[in-house]
Amino acid sequence: MTKGKNSIFTSKEARRNLLLCVIAVLIAIVFLFPIYWILAMSFKSDAESFGKVVTYYPHNFTVEPWLMNLTDREFLSSLKNSLFIALCSMTISMVFGVPAAYGMGRYKMPGSKSFLLTFLVTQMLPASLMLTPMYLIFNKLHLLGTYWGPAIAIASGSVPFIVVTLRPYFKGVPTALDDAARIDGCNVFQAFFRIMIPAIKTGIITVVVISFLNGWNDLAYSMTFNVKPEMRPLTANIYRFQSKYGTKWNCIMAYGAILVMPVILLFVFLQKYIVGGLTAGAVKE
Amino acid sequence: MKMTIAKKKKLEGYMFVLPGFLYILIVLGYPLIYNIRLAFRNVNVKTFKSGTDVFVGLQNFTELFQDPTFQLIFKNTLVFTIGCLVFQFTIGFIFAMFFSKKFTLAGPIRGMILVGYMMPMSVTALLGKNMFDVSSGVINDLLMKLHLIQQPVEWLLQGNTAMIAIIAVNCWVGIPFNMLLLTSGLTGISQDVYESAEVDGASSIQKFLHITLPLMKPAIASVLMLGFIYTFKAFDLQFVMTSGGPLNATDVLGTYAYTLSFTQYEFSKGSAAAIVLFCCLFVVGLFYLRMISKEDD
Repeated sequence: MTKGKNSIFTSKEARRNLLLCVIAVLIAIVFLFPIYWILAMSFKSDAESFGKVVTYYPHNFTVEPWLMNLTDREFLSSLKNSLFIALCSMTISMVFGVPAAYGMGRYKMPGSKSFLLTFLVTQMLPASLMLTPMYLIFNKLHLLGTYWGPAIAIASGSVPFIVVTLRPYFKGVPTALDDAARIDGCNVFQAFFRIMIPAIKTGIITVVVISFLNGWNDLAYSMTFNVKPEMRPLTANIYRFQSKYGTKWNCIMAYGAILVMPVILLFVFLQKYIVGGLTAGAVKE
Repeated sequence: MKMTIAKKKKLEGYMFVLPGFLYILIVLGYPLIYNIRLAFRNVNVKTFKSGTDVFVGLQNFTELFQDPTFQLIFKNTLVFTIGCLVFQFTIGFIFAMFFSKKFTLAGPIRGMILVGYMMPMSVTALLGKNMFDVSSGVINDLLMKLHLIQQPVEWLLQGNTAMIAIIAVNCWVGIPFNMLLLTSGLTGISQDVYESAEVDGASSIQKFLHITLPLMKPAIASVLMLGFIYTFKAFDLQFVMTSGGPLNATDVLGTYAYTLSFTQYEFSKGSAAAIVLFCCLFVVGLFYLRMISKEDD
């Protein structure tokens, strides 16, 4: 009798599970459709992408739009710029951000409340507020038209993010661990590099990924400070390629698809780190 | 002379924190002050080169507020922000509740729909531009196939519909973000509370109104405030998708400040517009900071 009761229960559970899964899949279809669309468009022929009849998958599948971009010298130099700016800004952010997060998380000192407040406030500053003054200052310092301008500016957003995100991680490391390191004869810096950083590896991966993406995704700073188009990253050259390709939506979409590729790859392989970092920085600090 | 251990500890702490703190102070603090100075002077491309700019008091601000374009742009920014907040919060909340149920695909799909949030906004904007295109856009095609519209809508060519399109695209990014933040609030509520309410015979609506909502209050408040801050300062989306058009109909404070400074080269006016944007964020930001510092104590 108990057995029968159980099977009714499980089949009811199974039906509920199935229903919820179907709804979830429908939500996923709606939300992922734009991602599908950018890919579908990027493999269409010129006529198909421009035509009045909208096709939902490439009827004349072609890799031509991708090749158009990948063999274009302007595209390749923009790609190089994107990588370079993202890596530079990531490096600057890590160098300044991680030690600060460690100091904030593990030391009690006068003024630490105002430090924290500063990092929290600056995390919210909009790029559009910084553009004009930074442009004029960088102009005086001859930093316009170099990779440094955007890299420094982007890092100013990532440093507070790193501090706010990593501080709780450092706080959570047991003190016994660095005491042990000291007894073994490590100095402060050795303990920091050899013990603390490996101890919060998850957090470090999160901030590396997100500060890289901050640089990769940036539009405003790169566009404003890199006055020469050949210095601009992919994001900031979107306009140039739009006018270059005109109504060739397939080529424009292939451009976008290549730009999105690293984001999707990072997302697929490191999803749990990214998601953890996003929530850590926002709701609670 | 030997330092006390406490003193040495403090010094160590400063050694770690100060480089990052000074970086922020120099790279953000200095421009911020410089920006305020700019807003009270008449710096444009001519006076900047010759160094003949002078103090003009509140002139930039009074001119801005009397300018009908600026009034329109301020209104646009509010409409855009509130429109986005309403939809992304409501739908985000429903999704958060839905994905907090236990079923096989809950985790994977919740993760998957976050990808929009990570994409470069400029690509999202480009995609929006394509999907809302009048003749070759997929949105019009879908709506026609579903018989919701008889004729293609000229989405990005008319002011009101362009704003709707912009809000829709922003929600595609905002909904997953709201969902994510609200989910972490929901998982914080202990299941025991719900179970004991069930024993008392509470319906699901009662449970939602009397348990979920009150317990979620801090998470809801912070999601709304953060949402306001992120949406109010929008730039990339409008810049790439509509360039603020048609006729400033989707121009917001962020893009307008950029136009003033880098299309018209009126740096002081651009700074003044950016300060208006900053003040609005600051008010909401203060509430947000007060709330999370309370949580910390």
